[in-house]
Amino acid sequence: MDWLEVSVETDREMAEAVSEVLSRYAPQGVAIELGDEPDGQRVIVRAYLAADDSLEARKRRLEEALWHLGQIRPLPAPTFRRIADRDWTAGWKESIPILHIGKRIVIKPSWREYTPQAGEVVLELDPGLAFGTGLHPTTRLCLEALEARVRDGMRILDLGSGSGILALAAAKLARVEVLAVDNDPNAVVATRRNARRNGVSARVRPLHGSLEAVSGTYDLILANLLAPILIRMAAERKLAARLKPQGWLIASGLLVEQEGEVAAAFEANGLHVVERRREEDWLALLATRA
Amino acid sequence: MAKKKKKIKAIVKLQIPAGKANPAPPIGPALAQHGINLMAFCKEYNAKTSHLAGNIIPAEITIYHDSSFTFVLKTPPTADLLRKAAGVPKGSSEPNRIKVGSITRQQLREIAETKMKDLNANDIAAAERMVAGTARSMGIEIVD
Repeated sequence: MDWLEVSVETDREMAEAVSEVLSRYAPQGVAIELGDEPDGQRVIVRAYLAADDSLEARKRRLEEALWHLGQIRPLPAPTFRRIADRDWTAGWKESIPILHIGKRIVIKPSWREYTPQAGEVVLELDPGLAFGTGLHPTTRLCLEALEARVRDGMRILDLGSGSGILALAAAKLARVEVLAVDNDPNAVVATRRNARRNGVSARVRPLHGSLEAVSGTYDLILANLLAPILIRMAAERKLAARLKPQGWLIASGLLVEQEGEVAAAFEANGLHVVERRREEDWLALLATRA
Repeated sequence: MAKKKKKIKAIVKLQIPAGKANPAPPIGPALAQHGINLMAFCKEYNAKTSHLAGNIIPAEITIYHDSSFTFVLKTPPTADLLRKAAGVPKGSSEPNRIKVGSITRQQLREIAETKMKDLNANDIAAAERMVAGTARSMGIEIVD
């Protein structure tokens, strides 16, 4: 079955009344396009009428209702466009690429086939709300730094694990044990599920909590957070205390202009920055114990 | 993990029945053109709104350039609240001539208060004026 798309361009205030009129003829709801600015004033209200035998009659009544509404406050005439019914979810799946990061890391969605080249490690992760067709620059920076430093036998701590992507990559790249910590219970569930799907659940342990819940020392700490959180964690040498003497800290989530304050907090709390990586406005810092 | 700032591609508000999101119109075409994961939205929206079935619960979706998105639920449309307050099934087909019902100033104030956080209004008086404007365009009168 086809659909008739009805579009009315108006302002935010009038959008309520236009939506009310359209929803009388489209009980499944209306979509209001608000542009790309949270406070934009021009909006487009769209509704969809099923193109069956009664379409012409419904279209006429809808036009009349909008005309009457326009007598109260001026309203442009609606525009109509016939669209064919289709699987609206299909295009999205096709748009999700296979990602290559660093020298060996490949990230693919579950519905795509991929034959790895020699030495490549493949992570299967489905995009959800958190990431779409690409990864955040900080995730890519962390993956690249991780690939360069990870070695067999390491004990790794992932602070703010999110989907678990960094923890999984570590466990795929080398024979390591990873503790993946996040204060969001949804992230803990996601990390556990993704570890199982990638066959590394024996070596990736999700933990609900924050740095305070962690004891012991680690060869490598991944902290893809935000600048204020990095600064807070570094205070009182809390972060340095979890790092082995020869260990590495990979810290990201900071913008270029935040480098000074983060590096200063590290240097004042037993950490020494030895390397920086940049992508767009974002940085990842590699630090050791001072 | 906290969200990091990303570039906004589009903001789309859907006014849809609670708990019944599916990939058909209007959700399908409205979101598919921006290349986001439709099913993830529908699943999450339904999980968050199924206990409100019978109401229109708007969702405002912010879509980023990498096709990721976030969304927040909004208060029911003003028109919905007005219809319920006036006890009428729908607005007037000729609001400039035919009045279908009325609400009191007190009800107007209550609706303005409910909608205040979602309206682009500086104070309650401005919110009331916007709600009254919607009422007028539906053929619902405000009475003392």
